[in-house]
Amino acid sequence: MTGTSAMMARILRDLPAGDGSDLLGGDPALCARVLGVDGIAVSLCGDDALTELVWSTPGRSADLEDAQYTLGEGPALDACRHRSLIALPDLQRTDPHRWPAFLPEAERFGVRALFCFPLHLGAVCLGVFTAQRATPAPLDAAQMNDAFILSAAITAALIRDDAQRQSFVWAEPSTTLHRAVVHQATGIISVQADVSLAQAMVLLRAHAYRTEKPLLETAEEVVARRLHFRDDKGGTTVPSSDKD
Amino acid sequence: MTTQQRLLDILVEAVDTLTDDFDVIDFLHRLSTRCVELLDVQATGIMIVDEHDELQLIAASDETTRLLELFALQHDQGPCVRCYRSGQAQLNIDLTSRTATLGFGPFAAQARTAGFTVTHALPMKLRHQVIGAVNLFDTRPGLLSDSDLQIGQAVADVATIALLQQRTLETSHLEKAQLQAALTSRVIIEQAKGILSERYGLSLDASFDTMRTYARPRKMRLTELARQVIDNTFDGTFEPTGTDTP
Repeated sequence: MTGTSAMMARILRDLPAGDGSDLLGGDPALCARVLGVDGIAVSLCGDDALTELVWSTPGRSADLEDAQYTLGEGPALDACRHRSLIALPDLQRTDPHRWPAFLPEAERFGVRALFCFPLHLGAVCLGVFTAQRATPAPLDAAQMNDAFILSAAITAALIRDDAQRQSFVWAEPSTTLHRAVVHQATGIISVQADVSLAQAMVLLRAHAYRTEKPLLETAEEVVARRLHFRDDKGGTTVPSSDKD
Repeated sequence: MTTQQRLLDILVEAVDTLTDDFDVIDFLHRLSTRCVELLDVQATGIMIVDEHDELQLIAASDETTRLLELFALQHDQGPCVRCYRSGQAQLNIDLTSRTATLGFGPFAAQARTAGFTVTHALPMKLRHQVIGAVNLFDTRPGLLSDSDLQIGQAVADVATIALLQQRTLETSHLEKAQLQAALTSRVIIEQAKGILSERYGLSLDASFDTMRTYARPRKMRLTELARQVIDNTFDGTFEPTGTDTP
């Protein structure tokens, strides 16, 4: 038995067994250890966008997915779009024009290597499995093989036809959706600014981009009513006395 | 974007993209080898159905003649055939038992000659369509634990997905639509919570409770109610639950 076999076996066993409100089960940190990376993330994609982060190690991996969600560009999106693996063993040697907005963000997070595996079935891509590391280097042959196995196992777990998906739909309030706060803020803004949900989303994104803040943080400001889109559609921050 | 930069992008893409090198047979061979390590069994083989509805070996953990012959015998008899036809896992088959191997005596004899005492076959299936089976062999008698069974089934699922990835499946769109529908349901509930929260000055939790309080006695689906809130087609009256303000 090789060193990672027991861990790999555990991940494969647990992946299809989410606890009801989650689509995937098991420990993402263990998954990162098997691949010798610092973090992993699984995002679903729809209509050319990463719609929701469903499984990830906390911190950088989640930040990377959010950055791509906000910026609308990045390797995970391209992996999904082209249904192909995108391996970037050294981000500093990646053409800076390829993702002009995303690459500086990744650098700011301290990420040096990124590997995006499409979760696809035939012509359809369900999402992307991303592994990231703070040190540059390719995945070795065994890690690459396990990453392919994991990608297929995640795909299989996502399309299972059982009660899991139904219980995910009916799960009691929020907190399990990574971007719940973004969806809630979108609803709030749509009422404040009297616009459609799609337009509300654009207002939220534009504000995050303009103020150079993460989308999730901006959404939290809206939900906490520290940021309003009532009179000024560019967003108005209420006086600091309200913040306490 | 200039033409030169576009070209550069395409070149970088070509260097980074390894999918063209992805060989499914090679991958399944490596999967079989990994499966031996993961489950601590002696040998693994992946068999899929051909156009004549017979099982063919597509990859094995080792390619010794003895093992290959064992799989070759299973085109019309053996645990994999039973597994494929029934769609059910065939577990803990004692190769030394006449009753357990009834119907595939020649296969069992060959397996014993190869030194195996127990075999298992796990279905490779997507929904109700079975496309083959993963066959496990061990030289030591003993039962497959529940945990090992789950791991083995995950390996069979991986093999299925890897094979199906190569084809353009009509069902893929359906799978995606169903997954997206599950996700969308959750998203619209969150959006509706935001809308009600702002409209009635409620906390998000109170907004959720308000929707649930309305939906339950009316046997209405929460997602349907949320959809109406979002589309502005809701014509009932909410009785906000709780007295909190956001």
